Amino acid sequence: MRETRLWSWHLLVIPIIIVLLGAHFAVMHYAPVFYGVSVEEARNFETMIERGKSVAQLVLYVLLLAAALYHGLYGLRGIIRELPMSPALGKIVDTSIIGLGLFIFAFGTYVTWWTFSFKIGG
Amino acid sequence: MNSNKPTAYNNRLGIKGWVYAGKYTFERYLYLGHRLTGMGLIAYMLLHIIETANRMRGVEAWEGLMGLFASWPFKIIEYLLFAAAVFHALNGVRLLMTELGFFLGKPKEPVYPYSSSIKRHRPLTYIIMALAGLIIILGGSSLFFP
Repeated sequence: MRETRLWSWHLLVIPIIIVLLGAHFAVMHYAPVFYGVSVEEARNFETMIERGKSVAQLVLYVLLLAAALYHGLYGLRGIIRELPMSPALGKIVDTSIIGLGLFIFAFGTYVTWWTFSFKIGG
Repeated sequence: MNSNKPTAYNNRLGIKGWVYAGKYTFERYLYLGHRLTGMGLIAYMLLHIIETANRMRGVEAWEGLMGLFASWPFKIIEYLLFAAAVFHALNGVRLLMTELGFFLGKPKEPVYPYSSSIKRHRPLTYIIMALAGLIIILGGSSLFFP
């Protein structure tokens, strides 16, 4: 039951990743096509900070971070756990992946929050 | 006691199962591609989060990094990343449809010549991969020739 639930979440986060990663690509990599501004302009410090101060961006980026990390690390866990290993080693793999995921999520959230609360000119 | 007796974990092929799987069909190559792009994307994502944290070191550090990313080698890496993401996403949609039982046809009596669900699903596979190829080409043209 637990594995079914984890697998279901792996599938359920896919639409979130497709929509939000698509938006991320449009803003950061295809700005000339979608917004009529150069990539350099879309990525300069002031523009990046200005975008990062929006509540919607804060929420959506944290959501993308959580969804992509879960999807990616669950997939990685599946690949690693296919290798011949004892149940004890399997537990170590699971714990390490959860630890890595939580660490990267906390770090990514902190960077997003830092951008959101950045004081321009201060 | 026979040490070769299969248990819950010693009967797995591991990487050998990736490299050699007997008959290689189109779907088998997609499986390999899905795994390789998936691992590439998760590795990139972890690096990307660390690299974008560079903004906390100030304007100069950020602009320097963005200048580096604007160079040709990084543009090519960016394009490969885009291609990997498109392939992984569209192949993932195909896998999701298979998982949920769409486009597999109804179960039939196994009468010769046999028709497998994979064969019934294959036209959709070709359409999805053609779409992925088209998006990858269009994405490249927009990235390199804006």
